[in-house]
Amino acid sequence: RGANKDLYITSQKHRNFVSEPMGDKPVTALSGIGEVLGERLEQQGFDKAYVVLGQFLLLRKDEELFSEWLKDTTHANVHQADSCTQCLRDWCNAFL
Amino acid sequence: MPLLEDPARLSKSRLKSDLLAHNVALPPANSRKDVYVELHLKHIEQKDAAEFSSDEEDRGQDEAEDEVVDGDDPGGRDPSALTDDGLKAALIQHGVKVGPIVASTRAVYEKKLRKLLESGGHDEQVNGEEGNAVLYSDSEDEEGSKGAKGEGDEHSEHSQQDMSQNNNFAYPQCFILSSKLRAPASETRKPCPAKNPKNALKSSERGPCHCSRIPAGISRASSVNQRSGLGSRVPNGLQPAKSIGCSSGSSQAFSITQMVEEMESRRSVSDTESNGSDVQELRSQPSRLLTVDQPAVKNQTLFYTPEAFPVKPGPKPPVEPVNGVSKDIFPAQASPTGIYATRRRPIKGAAGRPVQYVFPDTPSSPATLERREAERRLVPIHIQILVFLIVVILLYLVYVVVEDSSLDSAMSLLDSPNQASDVEEFHAPEAPAFSEQE
Repeated sequence: RGANKDLYITSQKHRNFVSEPMGDKPVTALSGIGEVLGERLEQQGFDKAYVVLGQFLLLRKDEELFSEWLKDTTHANVHQADSCTQCLRDWCNAFL
Repeated sequence: MPLLEDPARLSKSRLKSDLLAHNVALPPANSRKDVYVELHLKHIEQKDAAEFSSDEEDRGQDEAEDEVVDGDDPGGRDPSALTDDGLKAALIQHGVKVGPIVASTRAVYEKKLRKLLESGGHDEQVNGEEGNAVLYSDSEDEEGSKGAKGEGDEHSEHSQQDMSQNNNFAYPQCFILSSKLRAPASETRKPCPAKNPKNALKSSERGPCHCSRIPAGISRASSVNQRSGLGSRVPNGLQPAKSIGCSSGSSQAFSITQMVEEMESRRSVSDTESNGSDVQELRSQPSRLLTVDQPAVKNQTLFYTPEAFPVKPGPKPPVEPVNGVSKDIFPAQASPTGIYATRRRPIKGAAGRPVQYVFPDTPSSPATLERREAERRLVPIHIQILVFLIVVILLYLVYVVVEDSSLDSAMSLLDSPNQASDVEEFHAPEAPAFSEQE
């Protein structure tokens, strides 16, 4: 079961991430963030998933702004950015 | 380099810097370019004409500034040049909820603002974001106020209906007659078919409704005539309907305290007149209105003014359209009522209102609307009494039942543990006494 780009909700990565507190998971644990994007994020100082979560929260959980930010900083495409955003949003809904 | 440029062609920031360079107080930040241009024309052109020597220096500086400032002109005020607070304010003006602007989020917000500026259009020159914000907020206000006004109109209509219902509660026999008719007509007629002298007195004292001026002696048949006449009139001609609606609407709109005050003053003035013949009374009404209403005008609220203003009729009104109605209303006395109706006619003109039949939309003060709302929600007094009686009866029944049947068992149940503990307590202190005695 590969990464579903069109159905983020059913992606295994998404469910894995949302199913539990993120702890010290790396950024690549976020759905939509693969090796390449994870590398870019780490270069920007976002080495852990919770740092990315912090950015998401700083943007007041605004999904549009966060997607924009992700696309700008990591050159993610729309699907990746939306997937990551959805992932963080669902995690927040579950654990915040 | 051109010595005197047309200020209207300069950019807003250029104008601003020019003004600053000439020590001219800047207008408020939100003001439009025209203001700057005016100030520029007023202060700088004159100065330039007067002192040519310092002109070149200024021009040189201005040119330099111009280039710098014009650099970021196209995108409006560059978001990256703003401070964090400025960025936040600009975004808030665009209706964006802004989180903390820190190093990692600033870029995002700058981009957002830039996008907003682009979508907002470049027509608004340099201070585009502010101008746009003003425009947006204006339109929103308009929409909001329109919506609010619409709601208010609905409210006033509702509350007018409620008022009429309340009034009908006071005059139940009127309600049946008027319920089927349009609001203005029914309101006008309502006090007319008053049967008992008390109601008649009240309705005749109720000034603004000119139907109330019909002497109590008029039979119900005539009131029915009036109704049919009104009913046929209302769809036919706008003018008569309007004049009727005017008086009835205003009579509906004003508050009870005002009415009472007016009644008091009017009674004192017109006590002698009211004993005269019917025709005389009808004739005296306009003069009464003239004398009594004008002092009352001062503390009336807005919606009352159409009723009060008419009293000082400047131009002689055209008589024709009103006469027909007045005949319908007062079949017996055509001429005196004709005079009276013509009195009504200038009301609209004197109040400067547009001539159209919009009276149910009479603006009421918010306080009045609130009060009517509250009145509408109040339970009628007889229902309150009914509920109270029911509760009392229920309580009494419960009391009787408890006392009759289950009182003994309940009391015994209640008492038995108490008695037991009492007995124990009663015996407990005795035990040491016994021991001491031994």
